[in-house]
Amino acid sequence: MTENDHSSADDKALVRGAQRGDMVAFEELVARHRDKIYARAYSMMRNEEEAIDLSQEAWVKGWQRLKQFQGEASFGTWMTRIVINLCLDQLRKLKRHRIESIEAMTEESGGVERQMPVVTVNPTAGLERGELRQRIDKALGQLSHEHRTVMVLHEFEEMEYKEIAKTMDCSIGTVMSRLFYARRKMAALLNDLKKQD
Amino acid sequence: MNYDSQLRLQAYLDGELPEGEAREVANWLARDQEAVVLHAELRNTRKAMAGFETGITLPESREFFWSKIEREISRQEQPQREPQSVPFFARLQRFLKPASAVAGLILVGLIANQQFGLLSGTGGAENKSALDDPGAFTYHDFAAGTTLVWLTYPAQNEFADSDPTDTLQ
Repeated sequence: MTENDHSSADDKALVRGAQRGDMVAFEELVARHRDKIYARAYSMMRNEEEAIDLSQEAWVKGWQRLKQFQGEASFGTWMTRIVINLCLDQLRKLKRHRIESIEAMTEESGGVERQMPVVTVNPTAGLERGELRQRIDKALGQLSHEHRTVMVLHEFEEMEYKEIAKTMDCSIGTVMSRLFYARRKMAALLNDLKKQD
Repeated sequence: MNYDSQLRLQAYLDGELPEGEAREVANWLARDQEAVVLHAELRNTRKAMAGFETGITLPESREFFWSKIEREISRQEQPQREPQSVPFFARLQRFLKPASAVAGLILVGLIANQQFGLLSGTGGAENKSALDDPGAFTYHDFAAGTTLVWLTYPAQNEFADSDPTDTLQ
């Protein structure tokens, strides 16, 4: 396969090539999906350097496990799951070292979100895409790892509750309450940012 | 509205309820303003999140990022390839080197033991290091009824300084 062939080939053909050991085919796959994989790592870790390192690690693992890829999901989805698992492992390591804040503990016990007043006016209405992204970014950064992860897996990865529970090794009830808290907190934070205008 | 109802409302929004339950929640939404407001807030947040990741791009060039991946792949594959390329004789040598070293040590030990045995066998003499003073060495000849004690000089402890005659018993 020539360089031109690689750039015009679809993912399936490139995966087949890479499974046979064609590094150029794999490089093309990296080029196509690297932003998505990095974005997922960044959403979960909220740190540029860590996200770069973890996405790089995901690609190395992807290459090593390529033979296991049977094509049940798309290559992009398969790679995304690898980077998500790496991020979850990293977050678990970080959690072991950090002292839980009082707020995080209260969140885990549930009920805080019930005290929050409902945001009746859409705080993101009329915002430009760039501005909206900045605000979401800021608000996401204020959520705990657990709440942010549930949000990312549900909103970006479009996982069902059951799948999230399995991935995060918790109950469906925990997923539901974490997602509920995260959404309510996001609404409140976005509303605060709107008031600051 | 209780907490379970709030979570049910969210599950309805996410399409996680079975058909029958989803119909129930839809009916409830039609008559409960509080539920409508909460449902709208949850929906707005979900909508705002859509497309967030599309603006995030890797802050490294294609070539640089790939070069790091390629290097790491090669580095991790290196130790796996190494055992295959080592010829049989080299692998045998790896085993023989430590084995011959151990055999050599055993041989030296046997020779030393043999010499020590000769000493004790002929004259009924023995050499000893004093446990409480590693600098002292004692020679005892049973046949002659003589004991000699050597101390390292200068002495390392207070007993050696007390009286030079202490060294000879």
